[in-house]
Amino acid sequence: MAEATWEKSASPTVKSAGGGRLKFLIGGLLILAAVAYLIISGTSAGARYFITVDELVANRDYVGKTVRISGAVIGDTIQYDGQNLIMDFTIAHIPTEYQNLALTLYEAANDPNATRLPVHIVNQPKPDLLQHEAQAILTGKLGEDGVFYASELLLKCPTRFEEAEPGKAIVEPSA
Amino acid sequence: MLAEIGLVSTFLAFVAALYAIVVAVIGGRRHAERLIVSARNAALLTFLLLLVATGALVVALMTEQYQMSYVWSVSDPATPPFYRFTALWGSQKGSLLFWSLLMSLFAAAALLINWRTHRRLMPYVIAYTMATLAFFVGLVLFYENPFERWWLVGSQAVSSALIPAGAAAPTAERLAETANGLNPLLRHFGMIIHPPMLYLGFVGFVIPFAFAMAALASGDLSTNWIKATRRWTLVAWLFLSLGLLLGGRWAYDVLGWGGYWGWDPVENAAFLPWLIGTAFLHSVMIQEKRGMLKVWNMFLVIGTFSAVIFGTFATRSGLIDSVHSFARSEIGFPMFFFWAIISLISAGLILWRWNRGELKDEHRFVNILSRESLFVLNNVVFVMLFVAIFWGSFGAPVVSELFMNENITLGTDYFLRVTPPLFVALYILMGIAPLSAWGATSLRRLSRSLIVPLALTAVLLVGVVITQHTGDPGALFGYGIVSMAGFVALYETYRGATARRRSLGESWPRAIGALFTRNRRRYGGYVVHLGITVIGIGVIGSTLFQQETQRTLSVGETLDFGGYSLRYDGFTDAIAEDGRRMQIADVTISRDGRELARLRPRQDIYPTMPMTIAGSYSTAEADYYVLLVGWEETSAQNATFKVYINPLINLVWWGGVILILGTLIGTWPTETVPAQLRQAAPINGRARAKA
Repeated sequence: MAEATWEKSASPTVKSAGGGRLKFLIGGLLILAAVAYLIISGTSAGARYFITVDELVANRDYVGKTVRISGAVIGDTIQYDGQNLIMDFTIAHIPTEYQNLALTLYEAANDPNATRLPVHIVNQPKPDLLQHEAQAILTGKLGEDGVFYASELLLKCPTRFEEAEPGKAIVEPSA
Repeated sequence: MLAEIGLVSTFLAFVAALYAIVVAVIGGRRHAERLIVSARNAALLTFLLLLVATGALVVALMTEQYQMSYVWSVSDPATPPFYRFTALWGSQKGSLLFWSLLMSLFAAAALLINWRTHRRLMPYVIAYTMATLAFFVGLVLFYENPFERWWLVGSQAVSSALIPAGAAAPTAERLAETANGLNPLLRHFGMIIHPPMLYLGFVGFVIPFAFAMAALASGDLSTNWIKATRRWTLVAWLFLSLGLLLGGRWAYDVLGWGGYWGWDPVENAAFLPWLIGTAFLHSVMIQEKRGMLKVWNMFLVIGTFSAVIFGTFATRSGLIDSVHSFARSEIGFPMFFFWAIISLISAGLILWRWNRGELKDEHRFVNILSRESLFVLNNVVFVMLFVAIFWGSFGAPVVSELFMNENITLGTDYFLRVTPPLFVALYILMGIAPLSAWGATSLRRLSRSLIVPLALTAVLLVGVVITQHTGDPGALFGYGIVSMAGFVALYETYRGATARRRSLGESWPRAIGALFTRNRRRYGGYVVHLGITVIGIGVIGSTLFQQETQRTLSVGETLDFGGYSLRYDGFTDAIAEDGRRMQIADVTISRDGRELARLRPRQDIYPTMPMTIAGSYSTAEADYYVLLVGWEETSAQNATFKVYINPLINLVWWGGVILILGTLIGTWPTETVPAQLRQAAPINGRARAKA
């Protein structure tokens, strides 16, 4: 093999002393400890508690704390000031446990009794998916004024409700 | 008709794969040649059958057979032919079939190419590849069948592979009218090639895994399996890298947030196999050259396979949303069982061979500066990165949900805090390891080889500071570490060429050409390192120095930002051929009074959603990336733009091209050198000793 000859190889039967092994062991443990520290400190710094709108609104302790919430976007409330990039809309509470996301979003957005939360976002272009019955996943803080100031907005595909019963359109002739 | 053809051939492929597993294992244990050959033929047959099945689905897509619910869900009459074809992987069901086809293609190729040379491994290679294939084909058949058709049963539309009792077929017109069309996000060249590349990378890694497990099962624990699979590993790695790069490019062009990597769980799921696969790529070299790390390599190859299976499903099974949705997902549990069974069998094989003392290392680690030690360090860092990213994207959310009854996710700040030190460590190792020797390296020799690359790095940094590009210590540190690794790669190639020139009197091009043809893996590897360096510089520049702003402009008005000016010239409202409405802003970018480019940032309005398409002006220095984010509905006299200046971002893509080239060089088949000529090879060795 041409490539094997490239390297100077040490004599094959060098016996390593026990001290050598210990060195490797200590080195390895140090690396592990450093990485463990990195991961743990990163986790505590980056952890975002995912809570529901109900929980957020019910507990004053959350005011001013960075949390992650998700809710159903109510289409009529979306207001976007394209000049200053200010986005306002309202989301409705959705439970954490559900069988069908699309159906849950549909019900939440159309339930007048569901807890609602106004959301305010600045400096972001209006996302393409911000629509009625979209699931908004927001990171931010609840202000004293009861408005959720979000710094991060993620949206889940809103066409899922149709997907839940995709065949419906085939049966019912559209009016 | 097409649905029946597809269904029957998929089913036959499933049966053939199962047959191949059973017969191959029996044949392997009894050393029955006829059985092994029969198993191989069955394995080859799966490819032909899946080719027919996939062909049937493609024909159905191209000829608009909307009674097939898959065709109905990913295309509509307005879909152009090209996207009709790519709709094959536009959704889960088609993707899984396509995945299976690629898997059987790789399996067939591996069996044909290695049949004569690695006969002893073959029965178990068949068994492992066909087990993986059978699982995926089983999913296609029983869970995610792309050959289902729409049927009207009473007043309900049902999607079913078999014809339900009393069912009637819906009319073709109605089906065509209601068809969904391809997700607009997927209509981009990056998204079209990205999934197949990723799948090729994923299935490619199944081959080294199957050979490794075959080595354990057959007892041929020499380096045979490594020699047979090193090219497969590189091919898989090539496709996976390409898939990741294209995915980043797609995000940058289509998602309109000015970035290419967001530490999103879906992205991370594809990055995980790459990390552990890269670790494997390096550590098998130690086993090949020094007979060390045998058990570790086995675990790495199982890890790569697991990451591939995990990556395929994490994104599909709902695991990312929540543990609960994972349990609800139809393919979540089958996938988990498959992975668990394969991993248990594999770990059992390792333990069995290890107990019999057959996985003993032939050398021991002596010197911390030896190449093998540095490679082990590289492996440790790769695995740590794997662990950290896995924990951040999947571990923490799942553990918190299961055990703390709380739902915790880790944001990008976690990844931005944890990964940079590890990447820095990797780049340092990438700079040092190529200079070290097997067995032991003296510190003096190592520092001597580092002088030139270090000097070059210093010159570069001083240049950066003098030209006032940046004086930020963090950025300079990053640029320094990263470019050092690149200079080492360049300098080593230069040294190799000089040595040849001196000893053989060759010209520069000839000497470099000879280096690359004689030792493709080594010098291809350096080119890959250079690519990674260039990517690293691009990542540092575009992450640390991104600038953004937004402004509303009236027609004729200008926005000055970051040394560029943008003039809003006018607005166009157009309807594209496929029916989408395009709202286009015409803008002119200039610098120092010189016109650079006319851009057309736009929004495409699809029936389901709008899409923001950026306009960008690219140079080596930076991308001027502009989004149209708002406009006055009636006159469009005023429009709002968001502008990003992304410095050095193009180095990410160019580095990607270099990386791909380097991998191709490393993968390219070498002419087999006849044994007597091999004796001539030590020329290299002499040259090296002189240098």
